[in-house]
Amino acid sequence: MNTQELQKLAKKLRFEAVRMVYEGKDGHPGPALSIADIVTTLYFDILNVDPKNPEWADRDRFILSKGHACPIWYAALNERGYFEPKVEHFNLRQLGSTFQGHPSMHSTKGIDMTSGSLGNGIAIGAGMAAAAKIQKKDYFTYVICGDGELQEGVCWEGANMATGRKLDNLIVFVDRNGWQSYKTVEFTVGQNNIAERFRAFGWHTQEICGHDVDAIKSAVSIAKGTEGRPHAIICDCVKGKGLSYMENDNAWHKGVPTDEQWEITKKELGGAE
Amino acid sequence: MAEFKGTREAFAAALSELAAVNDKVVGVFPDSLKAMRAVSFGETYPERYIECGIAEQCAVDVAAGLASAGMLPFVGTYCGFLTMRAGEQMRTFVGYTDQNVKFIGVNAGILGGEREGVTHQFYEDLAFVTSIPNFTVLTPADPEQLYEAVKYAAAIEGPVYIRGGSGREVDVYAKDAPFSRDGITVWKEYGTDALLLSNGYVLDRVLAAADVLKEQGVNVTVADINILYGKDPSKILEAMAKTEQVVTVEDHNINGGLGSYISRLASENQPVKVKRIALTDFAESGPAKELADAYGFSPEGIAKTVRETLGK
Repeated sequence: MNTQELQKLAKKLRFEAVRMVYEGKDGHPGPALSIADIVTTLYFDILNVDPKNPEWADRDRFILSKGHACPIWYAALNERGYFEPKVEHFNLRQLGSTFQGHPSMHSTKGIDMTSGSLGNGIAIGAGMAAAAKIQKKDYFTYVICGDGELQEGVCWEGANMATGRKLDNLIVFVDRNGWQSYKTVEFTVGQNNIAERFRAFGWHTQEICGHDVDAIKSAVSIAKGTEGRPHAIICDCVKGKGLSYMENDNAWHKGVPTDEQWEITKKELGGAE
Repeated sequence: MAEFKGTREAFAAALSELAAVNDKVVGVFPDSLKAMRAVSFGETYPERYIECGIAEQCAVDVAAGLASAGMLPFVGTYCGFLTMRAGEQMRTFVGYTDQNVKFIGVNAGILGGEREGVTHQFYEDLAFVTSIPNFTVLTPADPEQLYEAVKYAAAIEGPVYIRGGSGREVDVYAKDAPFSRDGITVWKEYGTDALLLSNGYVLDRVLAAADVLKEQGVNVTVADINILYGKDPSKILEAMAKTEQVVTVEDHNINGGLGSYISRLASENQPVKVKRIALTDFAESGPAKELADAYGFSPEGIAKTVRETLGK
């Protein structure tokens, strides 16, 4: 898919993500919009998957380690054709819904691993990547983490293990939007030197703009061409990206648009095909 | 001569045998390959030996990832580090997701941890794992039974937790004795004054206690419970129906293990009095035998508690 098509699609998925939060009256729209361009590029340009056969053994794997950002993932899976018929209303977080508050692999087609308890995506992804090596399969495992999430120690346990096992089939995106639940990452732990840390752990590390779909494609291509080490792609992102009232306002870590804000949403994100 | 020195050697032997016939079998170790006596497995199957470093949460996560991709992982290390430090990973990424991961948690109880002291003695593991849906919980009573339990676990689809020791286990079962699918094996039937239900590596002590009691004119039945909260407890209920007093004996905290399980069966299915012999506090370092004796698990100590309970 070309640049313009991906950008247009990302806008549409952003709208769908906010719509499902607005309709469900609960969820994390800011984190979802932060990773919208990464998720869109993955599902419509990078991932080797078959929506008609979501359990296909040779598929690329994807883990949304920051599971609370799932509205954008649900929107992408829907657009990619995982659900027949296409979902009109997600009933996000409602009793009996296919779309749980955090991703659940037995509830929703296309979800390779349950997530939401922060910190576990890298180590679980390392397990999937290790399985591919043992089985001599050439699929890649992709993970999206948050920068705040990386405060969880198990992230670095997984980073160690992946380096030790030379898992060059593991690609981790870090959504470096600088925010976490309460305040900024810098406020919380004094620094946000994620790239330095991954390099120190022996990872092949790149830094890009997380809203530049071409940069995302290029970084994945470079990662795939670099052998012997796992890959970190540190993405500078804006929490709430794409909505004027939401961008870089951490009040939208979790929140529901008012009816007035929903009108603004329709004006700014609606109308995309 | 027993085939295995202890439960860890039995685990390692079973793992290597499974790996030889099933190329999906992998061993996941948080720097516990040596402690699990599985160095030979690691050397024979380097591709399928997954080292995670001293990082139990990572090991459980990695196992969940491996299982989701079609592998059959066995995670082996100290049971407290698994069930408490990595408990959330066991619950959310193996239990909730119903992944085909097998856990062997060693150093269980004061017998398992003995000289190491409280940091390496774990008497809370069963309380945790028995509260996670989808888990099958197996509690073998000696090394031979642990070997059989590992083989059984491989045939079960879904998460399994097996409780292991550290080499202080006494052989009770015959070699090749099957791991009971009924969840109960009756060992002695001297009488119905009481039914002594043993769990894990105190079985030899409970059997000795029955002999002490017999000499004192109290005739009991002794059975080993090897599956907690199994799907079909009918054979356990049958045994409980023959007596008015059950006494449970376990090297675990008094809450959450065998005593809790049997109390539930008694209150819901088979009304009978239940006395629980178990740990009620943290223990300490010491030689295994003396330590177990000091904390109420000597044959004489068990017999005394049984007599007191019966008012004899």
